Amino acid sequence: MTAQTVEQPLDLVRLSLDETIRVKMRGDRELRGKLHAFDQHLNMILGDVEETITTTDVDPETFEELLKTSKRHIPMLFVRGDCVILISPPLRTS
Amino acid sequence: MASASNPSSANRPVSASQGHGSTPADFLKAVLGRPVVVKLNTSIEYRGILACLDGYMNIALEQTEEYVNGELKNTFGDAFIRGNNVMYISTTKT
Amino acid sequence: MSSKHSNPVPQILPLELVDKCIGSRIWIIMRGEKELVGTLRGFDEFVNMILEDVTEYEYSAEGTSKKQLEKILLNGSNVCLLVPGSEGPEKSVPC
Repeated sequence: MTAQTVEQPLDLVRLSLDETIRVKMRGDRELRGKLHAFDQHLNMILGDVEETITTTDVDPETFEELLKTSKRHIPMLFVRGDCVILISPPLRTS
Repeated sequence: MASASNPSSANRPVSASQGHGSTPADFLKAVLGRPVVVKLNTSIEYRGILACLDGYMNIALEQTEEYVNGELKNTFGDAFIRGNNVMYISTTKT
Repeated sequence: MSSKHSNPVPQILPLELVDKCIGSRIWIIMRGEKELVGTLRGFDEFVNMILEDVTEYEYSAEGTSKKQLEKILLNGSNVCLLVPGSEGPEKSVPC
């Protein structure tokens, strides 16, 4: 197999090794980090991760829904595959 | 009645009797490389070109647009969607 | 006699019933607040289904939304109930 072909969906992830990817997770979380390793379950090791958590608060007076995001930095992270919704590799010019 | 008393009919794969060329596998063959809508169980929709998919319904999409409640929220060059989140894959006009 | 089991009840496999629904309208109730009605064109051993002329119903706090889809491959893993020959929630008889 040549390096740049995507025949299986997981090839897309394989091509993103050592690159910074975006991961949408269950529970309104999003990660951005460098993909060090993954397996067939989409368990992953990410490095230099920025985690974004989105929460909705309801204003007690106006009942308006307020979207709040909080971010934190994690140097190294194991991601359990069953929490993963979507993985997006960096834009490649190919 | 006939199928209940005939052991051979009980043993054959159920879907083998269709012969219309419209099993899930046939559909996937026909829709590869075409624009599709992928709807997740969370009601989020992804529109893009179906690059490939596997037996878990893991999906690789190109030129992906993310719609939440019908509003475009995000775009991704490539996207890997983990199959357990997928509700359906639909063909689209245009 | 021909059966390996000495079960006197005529056995029909659940999926044989689904097989008999091919070409007919079918109402699908998903886990969670979603329902679909469509014409069943095919399915596989996981009960992933090909449906045509689909109406999708979604129930939420904001109300019911209805959407038309030409042809879909429905993932079987979140299917809860199948109602053969039904036109779905709008045509079901309340009791």
